[in-house]
Amino acid sequence: MSPRDEIPLLKGLDGEGSVQVHQDASMKIEGAKVFSVYGKGGIGKSTTSSNLSAAFSVMGKRVLQIGCDPKHDSTFTLTGRLQPTVIDILKEVDFHAEELRPEDYVATGWNGVKCVEAGGPPAGTGCGGYVVGQTVKLLKQHHLLEDTDVVIFDVLGDVVCGGFAAPLQHADRAVIVTANDFDSIYAMNRIIAAVQAKSGNYKVQLAGCVANRSRATDEVDRYCEKVGFNRLAHMPDIDAIRRSRLKKKTLFEMDDEDDIITARAEYLRLADTLWRSVQAPGSTPDPLPDRDIFELLGFD
Amino acid sequence: MKLTLWTYEGPPHVGAMRVATGMKGMHYVLHAPQGDTYADLLFTMIERRNHRPPVTFTTFQARDLGGDTANLFKDSARDAYDRFQPQAMIVGASCTAELIQDDPGGLAEALGLPIPVIPLDLPSYQRKENFGADETFYQIVKALAQPMPRTEAITCNLLGATALGFRHRDDVTEVTRLLSLMGISVNVAAPMGATPDDIARMGQAHFNVLLYPETGEAAARHLERACGQPYTKIVPIGVGATRDFLHEVSALTGLSAKVDESGLRLPWWSASVDSTYLTGKRVYIFGDATHVTTAARIAATEIGFEVVGMGCFNREFARPLRAAAKAYGVEPLITDDYLEVEAEIARLQPELILGTQMERHIGKRLGIPCAVISAPVHVQDFPARYSPQMGFEGANVIFDSWIHPLVMGLEEHLLTMFREDFEFHDEAGASHHGGKAVPRQEEELPTYVVPAGQDLSAPLDRYAAMIPDIPIITPSGEVVWLPDAERELKKIPFFVRGKAKRNTERYATDRGLFEISVDTLYEAKAHYAR
Repeated sequence: MSPRDEIPLLKGLDGEGSVQVHQDASMKIEGAKVFSVYGKGGIGKSTTSSNLSAAFSVMGKRVLQIGCDPKHDSTFTLTGRLQPTVIDILKEVDFHAEELRPEDYVATGWNGVKCVEAGGPPAGTGCGGYVVGQTVKLLKQHHLLEDTDVVIFDVLGDVVCGGFAAPLQHADRAVIVTANDFDSIYAMNRIIAAVQAKSGNYKVQLAGCVANRSRATDEVDRYCEKVGFNRLAHMPDIDAIRRSRLKKKTLFEMDDEDDIITARAEYLRLADTLWRSVQAPGSTPDPLPDRDIFELLGFD
Repeated sequence: MKLTLWTYEGPPHVGAMRVATGMKGMHYVLHAPQGDTYADLLFTMIERRNHRPPVTFTTFQARDLGGDTANLFKDSARDAYDRFQPQAMIVGASCTAELIQDDPGGLAEALGLPIPVIPLDLPSYQRKENFGADETFYQIVKALAQPMPRTEAITCNLLGATALGFRHRDDVTEVTRLLSLMGISVNVAAPMGATPDDIARMGQAHFNVLLYPETGEAAARHLERACGQPYTKIVPIGVGATRDFLHEVSALTGLSAKVDESGLRLPWWSASVDSTYLTGKRVYIFGDATHVTTAARIAATEIGFEVVGMGCFNREFARPLRAAAKAYGVEPLITDDYLEVEAEIARLQPELILGTQMERHIGKRLGIPCAVISAPVHVQDFPARYSPQMGFEGANVIFDSWIHPLVMGLEEHLLTMFREDFEFHDEAGASHHGGKAVPRQEEELPTYVVPAGQDLSAPLDRYAAMIPDIPIITPSGEVVWLPDAERELKKIPFFVRGKAKRNTERYATDRGLFEISVDTLYEAKAHYAR
């Protein structure tokens, strides 16, 4: 290194000490609007993602949902089964991706939604980000993204590592699924900080949050008002959603009952809001320090 | 990918050149340094094309790298358009030029030429020639072909033929002829022979015939999605595959699959009494996966060879090849390293190799006959005569070209049979040259004088000492060949000599003999003839 090298000051932009370079241009997803869904583990990201995919498909969009969780259960309500993951298939061909064809790892689910499960290493080992990167590479190689209007990344919630960040490099908007309780909002606060850090170098911006499985939304709203965030939708704590998962179906496939029709309408509204949000500037909340959020939500 | 001396496939931009060169009215502007222009020779020298490939190289040199290579590209593209007036253009970078990241697609778009300009983004360091051709053809079809009303009569497109392909020119003719027997005409054959305007009317066809999956599958899949045209999955190389192909087309169109087969000769030729020497010949097959799997079927079920090994160099189609290898009970070899192929052939010791130009060299080194079935091929595999691989005439051609190397081997035994003949011996010279016949010099049998005191009761020692100049043909067990018997053995044609030797030795051992004389040899022959 020569003394004349100009080292740009990127501190804080992409995480402290990061020497992150921009991803290769050929990896860019063009044409489709890309959303990634985040949230605390078990909050209902997969339920939200697959109902959202179904809603987009009802709106006439060509949808691709990519499950980025080693559990590979993101898309089962769309396909009605646990499909093999990209990593499983890649292992079969000894990681020679050239050998694969789209039908090997893409399943067509309800209403033509294309479903991919990236899969990943066992918890605590390997790199989930690598798996997501390989998946996007395959989808591009087979020109699947060119024939798609909406891509939804359903991101794993349990660990914060490469797997967490990789979809952000491809996403236009990030959506956070939360609930009206302290743990979920606390997790959302941390996710906001992470996404804000990424948006310095990538086009990704936050769209807003979804209050899931909650009767009320007062705590979520209080937090949103404080940090300048917006709530896009509210999914009440209805039994229909639980039943739909037991039946391995999205809400759109269930019989017409009142609560189901209401929930469907809310997902359709959310899909429409997200579709429009890509044109508008994203939300730029200011995440709270951990101590402040304790105080805000009335705990100490 | 490995560094190697010789490769089965070039970099992807060579694949793009194969597509552009096959087409008419298409021009390829290739951002490439001076040295990369050698690729022209592939087409003019190997394929004997009578015109240069329609490729404009920017040919930047080392000193240009200090200046503006982007402008150099733009000037080249503009000049190429003015000079060649193509209907459409493809633009891209060679492997070397990819590194300077000038983005030819973006630059060409900025030129605002009045024709479609299709950018190619080929990953030079990850993929190879076949992928390059496949991807280029796909991009061209995607950019130019649109859904449109179908033709009134049933028509199809033929997909995948390119320049430098193995017998692509004649396969297109043969399959066109075959389909016409069913009452189907060809709408567009592409890329080879098609113009960009032709590509634009591909949507008219009722279905697509995928001749070469290696170079046409992406386009076929795209046309299936975009224009609703189904495509055929069976490649009609060999008698069985051609009949299956006709049935597949029949299922797509509802037309009868019964066509005139009177020109087909392979089945009778390989069943005729003169072909018994082909039965059970051990063959090794290597090339591109499509040609290898079709060749294996012909070898095993139509000619009666035994497939002892098979493999392909293109990983894109490794899976169907593995499935085929499993069916023949052999271990598949998927590699682009010719040294691995050579080692495998040396290990298996087949009697015939069906391969590419590379295997022809391997065969030469190992002394094993070879027939060529797949690209990459050399100039002699672009024959002047009509010589397809597909359809019924293709089957005839395959019969001739595969058994030719074997027949040539068999004729050699006639030469050695007459080696010691008084009239046709080695020194006699060719009879048709009108030279005077030279009488054969009789060879003196070595005589052996038993030294005083040597014990002659141990037969092995006795003969080993007696004939130091005439090597015994590897004595097996305790049986020894006497010199005259050994000379007689050498007169037996080479392809049965090993068997005759083993049988005679077994005969001798069974009878407790330690020596084989000429008499023993003929007694054994008589014994096994009974």
